[in-house]
Amino acid sequence: MKMTQNRIPGASPFRGSFLAALAVFVLAAAMPALAQDLAQDATRMEELEARTAAIMEELAALRAELELAKKETASVEIETLRTEVAQIAEIAQRAETSTLARDNPISVTHLAGYAAAGYSTTKDGTGSFDVANFNPIFHFQYADRILWESELEIDVGDNGETEVGLEYSTIDIFLNDNFAFVAGKFISPIGQFRQNIHPSWINKAPSAPPGFGHDAAAPAAEVGFQLRGGALVSETSKITYSAYVGNGPVLAVEDGELHGIESGGFTGDADDEKVVGGRFSLLPIPKLEFGLSAAFGDVAIVENDGMEVEDDAARSYDVFGADAAYQWNNFDLRAEYVHQKIGNQALSILPEGGTWKTWYAQGAYKFAQAKWEGVLRYTDYHSPHPEQSQEQVLVGLNYLLTANAVIKLAYEYNDGLNGELTNKDRIMFQIAYGY
Amino acid sequence: MKKLTLKTIFALTLTVLLGFGEFLLERQGQAAPVATQSDEPTQFARGAKAWANTCARCHNMRDPKELVDDQWRATIAHMRIRANLTGGEARDILAFLQGVN
Repeated sequence: MKMTQNRIPGASPFRGSFLAALAVFVLAAAMPALAQDLAQDATRMEELEARTAAIMEELAALRAELELAKKETASVEIETLRTEVAQIAEIAQRAETSTLARDNPISVTHLAGYAAAGYSTTKDGTGSFDVANFNPIFHFQYADRILWESELEIDVGDNGETEVGLEYSTIDIFLNDNFAFVAGKFISPIGQFRQNIHPSWINKAPSAPPGFGHDAAAPAAEVGFQLRGGALVSETSKITYSAYVGNGPVLAVEDGELHGIESGGFTGDADDEKVVGGRFSLLPIPKLEFGLSAAFGDVAIVENDGMEVEDDAARSYDVFGADAAYQWNNFDLRAEYVHQKIGNQALSILPEGGTWKTWYAQGAYKFAQAKWEGVLRYTDYHSPHPEQSQEQVLVGLNYLLTANAVIKLAYEYNDGLNGELTNKDRIMFQIAYGY
Repeated sequence: MKKLTLKTIFALTLTVLLGFGEFLLERQGQAAPVATQSDEPTQFARGAKAWANTCARCHNMRDPKELVDDQWRATIAHMRIRANLTGGEARDILAFLQGVN
């Protein structure tokens, strides 16, 4: 047999076959191992996929839990916030209630009043600082039902002694919108000057009109019961009313004549007859007022030249008053008449009675932005005793430091009995403050 | 025992009937209430008007800022007596003063 020409030089035909057989053998030997590896890889892949899926499920579960936890946490926080807000609101409510209670408690105590200091000199006499007084007013109010109010009158006398008086002290019960019941010592409701105008920071003059002081023509105070109030008649008009019953004044005799009518208010009633009186006023428009006052009863002499008198026969006592007031722009106009009449009593230690009467008219005008005020007042006072009677013209100029603090300068032209103080002109300076 | 005259009895009876009769009626809710706060929106305006018309009848107008709320309460109660204010006027004026002080 012949060898082919493409045979590799130097290689025998047997060698090639051997190599091929070896390769086949190696391949045959390696095949199971390769197949095993492939199977293992597939298993691992499946495991990995399963684990990945499990992880994904776990992750989803964790996310869900996380979301739930977040929601729960938010709900708790919101609830906590709500609770805190509610607590704060409750605290704020308590604070507001407390503030309201503090600002508007059931009971209220209040101190008010007024004070004055002044100097006066007569035209031909010696001047002196003759006014140094203060009038504290105490208020104690229970709800809107009861008010206790009391005013003291404290001043220094010309002898240097301090004098203290009880101007009024009443328990006021507000019965309804139109009536108040007043019990105790009260300022006489006769007329306007005594009950409303006399405080020094209100009175536009440094002095009271002659006859409106103590023991003169106008009753000062009363001890008893009073019913007073007001009612609207229309949108612009109104009526006011005051009615009282009290012990009434007493009389004192000096040098064989009635010195005056002591009407400062007494808890005793020497004549055992009560005095009944009151005032009625109409305001057809808000700043225009007309008033009528009257009182009647009995009085008796209780003192004769400093000696006490008992069981003197009672005599009649009558009071009549009329007043008017009008405010227009910067003008304040007012006038008032009042008299007290004591009847004769034949059985008394002093049979003769008498009448004390007075009237005044006053005009005031504010100017210079209401800081200054001019005052003109005329008074005519008649007493049974000529030394008490007096005709007076007062001209004044006031400077208002505030609405309730005023400096007053006034000149009084006085016409009385020759030689008496009532006949001497007077210059007065006064500072008054209401608080 | 000292005798009481007819007019004294009349006066005392009148006082009791008018005074305590009204008091009892009010307690039974048949009369107008006494001063209490009101939320009426017009009360402030009414109070300002009543304040301007009433207070200046006797004295200079005082600054509402002079006093705090409870002081105005006692002051208005005092002025209700002194100036014969109605309960309504007193409430209105108080609402105004407490509103602007």
